[in-house]
Amino acid sequence: MTALLERVYAWRWSVLPPITGVAMMAMIVGALVAAPREIIEGEVQRLMYLHVPAAIIMYVAFFFTAFASVMLLWKRDIRWDAAARASAIVGVFLCGIVLVTGAIWGKPIWGVYWSWDARLTSTLILFLIYCAYLLARSVAGPLDEQAARYAAIFAIIGVADIPIIQMSVRWWRTLHPQPIVFRPDPALPNEMLVVLLIGFVAVLSLATWLISLQTDTERAAQRVSALRAEFDHREIA
Amino acid sequence: MNVLGAVVAKDLKLAWRNRSGWLSAAAFSTIAVLTYSFAFDLATGDVRPLLPGVIWTTFLFAGVFAAGQSFQDEVDDGTFDALMFSPVGATSVFAGKLVANLIALLIIEFSQLILATILFDVALLTPELLGIVLIGTIGYVSLTTLLATMGGHVRGRSVLLPVLSLPLLIPLLIGAVRATGASLGLEAGTGPWMLLLMVFAVWATLAAVLLFPTAAEQ
Repeated sequence: MTALLERVYAWRWSVLPPITGVAMMAMIVGALVAAPREIIEGEVQRLMYLHVPAAIIMYVAFFFTAFASVMLLWKRDIRWDAAARASAIVGVFLCGIVLVTGAIWGKPIWGVYWSWDARLTSTLILFLIYCAYLLARSVAGPLDEQAARYAAIFAIIGVADIPIIQMSVRWWRTLHPQPIVFRPDPALPNEMLVVLLIGFVAVLSLATWLISLQTDTERAAQRVSALRAEFDHREIA
Repeated sequence: MNVLGAVVAKDLKLAWRNRSGWLSAAAFSTIAVLTYSFAFDLATGDVRPLLPGVIWTTFLFAGVFAAGQSFQDEVDDGTFDALMFSPVGATSVFAGKLVANLIALLIIEFSQLILATILFDVALLTPELLGIVLIGTIGYVSLTTLLATMGGHVRGRSVLLPVLSLPLLIPLLIGAVRATGASLGLEAGTGPWMLLLMVFAVWATLAAVLLFPTAAEQ
């Protein structure tokens, strides 16, 4: 199983960049040219093709951070720390895209860039939690196991907090458009749905590629740190 | 139970010996309430709409500040490892600290409620409000006590702890403020907000108790 996973992972350089490139181009062309103009919202609605996939993949990235954190605590393998951290960085990046595109869309549609609606608020809280996670992890070196474990615990609590955050802010207030795609009878025309699906593929492959790149970078930092420690140790000896 | 009682007694004794930390938290919350009253001019007009927010932000800041020092003395004196090697078990160590923190914070909060009652002439010492304060405090103390296990050597630790804990505590803050508002008659029904507070308290305590043994490993 592990051998198979490692072989699949070894293909990342030959598989992910072309898929990401093609899907991204298709998404841009689809969103700007192919998809029909929305009658009520106008051109600004085209942001949806980036906003919605980024929002969903952001959750996937945060859940992967939690999964990698559980694996770190379970297997005691510092490589999982690199994966967790990389995934959190990409998740925060996607969360930033979601917040910014949402604000740009909100100004002409709602008349304000920001409103304290339930979904906006919970996304902002998630952004803060995972920025805090990255901060907590960055206070110590790449090989500091205690800091890695502490950050992993924080990431797990962060993900477990998501349902409670959703519940609290939903009771607090709601203004965000209701889901139009994830329901038994999607209320989106087929052309728009196709572009949105391409958007999902594009953002998912971009996120996967970025996470694998960042994981490699974190692993390199861990190895440099290990080499430096060994060098210092020898010098003292 | 005897073991837990012994650990709680140890932690209460420790809290009493190092009372300067708790006294600073109490002083901090007093200053915060006074600062809010100057900033929002709470002395005039109807202060009730602002009061729940003022009370709970004060409690949270003071609580995060105070609970953040939980394991500092043990770590500084090197007794934390000894405690973890002792046969009491990590869960009891955590529960003891949690109960001690809870008692100390409840005393601080009770004194702040008396102060706010005097300053703002609003009846805050009702059984309902005290229940809200108790459940809300259980919720945030569990999380902050767990997060306080962060190594004492970390630079900027005292600033980092609020940055880490406050985003996680936002659901609790919303629930507590709304429940307090409902209890003061500002809106209808404390029911759903009490439910939210209870869910948070149970969730936070469970998560903290389950994760503490991992967090405390050296």
